[in-house]
Amino acid sequence: MTDPSAATPAGGSVIHDLGYRPYTGPRLGAGAIARALTLTGFRNAFGLGRSGKSKVLPFVLLALNLMPAVIVGGVLAFAGLDELPIGYAEYASTTQVLVGIFVAAQAPVLFSRDLRHGTISLYLARPLRSSAYALSRWTSLLGATLVFLLLPILILYVVALLGELDVSEQTREAGIAVGLAVLLALSLAGLAGLIASWSTRRGFAVVATIALLVIANGIVTAVQGISSEEGRSEVGEVAGLFSPYSLYRGLMGAWTGADVPTPPTSTGMELAYVAVFVGLSAACLAALVWRYRRVATA
Amino acid sequence: MTDVEPVARVEGLTKDYGPVLALDSLTLEIGGGTTGLVGANGAGKSTLLKILLGLIPPTGGRAEVLGHDIATEGEAIRAAVGYLPEHDCLPPDVSASDFVVHLAMMSGLPRVAARERAAEVLRHVGLAEERYRPMGGYSTGMKQKAKLAQALAHDPRLVLLDEPTNGLDPAARDEMLGLVRRIGHDFGIAVIVTSHLLGELERVSDNVVVLDGGRLLRASRTDEFLDATGVLLVEVLGHDAQDRMAAALISAGVAATRRGGMLNVDATDRPDAVRDLIRDTAGDLGLGLVRLQVDHRRIEDVFADAEADADAGSTVELDRVGTDGAAHPDGGVR
Repeated sequence: MTDPSAATPAGGSVIHDLGYRPYTGPRLGAGAIARALTLTGFRNAFGLGRSGKSKVLPFVLLALNLMPAVIVGGVLAFAGLDELPIGYAEYASTTQVLVGIFVAAQAPVLFSRDLRHGTISLYLARPLRSSAYALSRWTSLLGATLVFLLLPILILYVVALLGELDVSEQTREAGIAVGLAVLLALSLAGLAGLIASWSTRRGFAVVATIALLVIANGIVTAVQGISSEEGRSEVGEVAGLFSPYSLYRGLMGAWTGADVPTPPTSTGMELAYVAVFVGLSAACLAALVWRYRRVATA
Repeated sequence: MTDVEPVARVEGLTKDYGPVLALDSLTLEIGGGTTGLVGANGAGKSTLLKILLGLIPPTGGRAEVLGHDIATEGEAIRAAVGYLPEHDCLPPDVSASDFVVHLAMMSGLPRVAARERAAEVLRHVGLAEERYRPMGGYSTGMKQKAKLAQALAHDPRLVLLDEPTNGLDPAARDEMLGLVRRIGHDFGIAVIVTSHLLGELERVSDNVVVLDGGRLLRASRTDEFLDATGVLLVEVLGHDAQDRMAAALISAGVAATRRGGMLNVDATDRPDAVRDLIRDTAGDLGLGLVRLQVDHRRIEDVFADAEADADAGSTVELDRVGTDGAAHPDGGVR
């Protein structure tokens, strides 16, 4: 007979089956749950907390996206230039393909996976409402897209300051670029999220998102090129409203003086560009919430 | 077990999907312990569970779960209820351990507590080292255990299990039914478990609710369903044993009929005397008495009775349920 007061019987160890123990600790509210979901989603968008394989694509894209900024930094340091070879806002326009692939490839991670594997029903059976779920997922994607867009701006800004360029000018230009990046991220996250939430197949969502971004941008660019050649730039200005990338380019041209075809020339047109940018994002977000309300009651 | 405060109270609940009337003014009270919800496919089981979770609004009527109104307090209900859906719901590239931690957090547990709870419930459902492997490689039995673990992760007061034994082989099915029993009896968590296999619910549930075409067919304690029928099952060994035994019993004034390789002996009036008579008769005839057993009704017999009483309209539905049960008398492989 072992001494019941001893932690272990002489010379051996023992596993005590305590039976089922109820949980008596704190239970957090919807806000904390939404925050936890958003943070997990943000990590998942970069493959963190998932398999090793799923980290490859986001980090390769991120590295490719940052490489020009690092090279520019090196050039600036060695050549001692008196201005950045590439503008803060122009950077995202140059690497727009990478941004598009990143958003298109990672949106299904956040949206399609739960629908495809039926995991969504486990989320919906928990306290979070379907709209809060949709908003959390969207916030995760927005955050990941912002990291993708803002990191190069940060690197360029640090390089510019280390290169002793004019601080106030650099800050102003970087500030404009951040504002544009936020607008672009809002619309890209909305569009890609909405497409991914309608597709249970990852491949379909990726292709559809890239196709939408590339084709819309291609058509708009063609129209703007022709209208610029023909001297009918107002047609190009209106055409610029029909793709996130051309909205970005147009506002960049208007706000930073970068050389782009048919930028909005009047204040009214600039406002229209901003309104379409914001309106597109808001519409996508509303459609996402509506979509998940449908999923919940299906 | 059954006379505690009800975990779910349903009054005149109706769900009209337009072409389909899924629930037809259902009034019902479900108590603690384990409650089996039986019905054919389309009888309204899953619809009832979703309404109880506050996910879909009923067309009419009202319901309370754990004292919370489904119309206004869906969030509070879902915080206190665990749900195991019928269909697949596990992402293949995540380990059971990570998955259960995440879902415990989605029920409001802080991260550290979620880790502890996940480890504990995974141990209770019997997922050992495999909990660290991606769930895509799991057998159906292991997947069902992972699904059960996530339903228990936040220590709910009530779990809704939708067809937990679906697709399991007999050994895994027994294990799952054992777990369901333990949840209701040892863990002290109320259970509502659906199945279209009657034999299963007979084994695990304290109460059985039978739905048919969105209406309540019967709700009562399982043992009332399974009242002893007053018949003894007798089996004897020897040359021409059953027939000689039957003849001897009949000549002693006891009704006895063949039932396969056994005898049905009517002991309704004087059970003890008939038992003695059977023992003595077997001894006198020199036969080996290998079985003397009280014959219980099975839940499917209740369906058969109901079918006999039912009007022509609902006979078809009942027939579907009855056949399903009869084809798998002991909850065999689907």
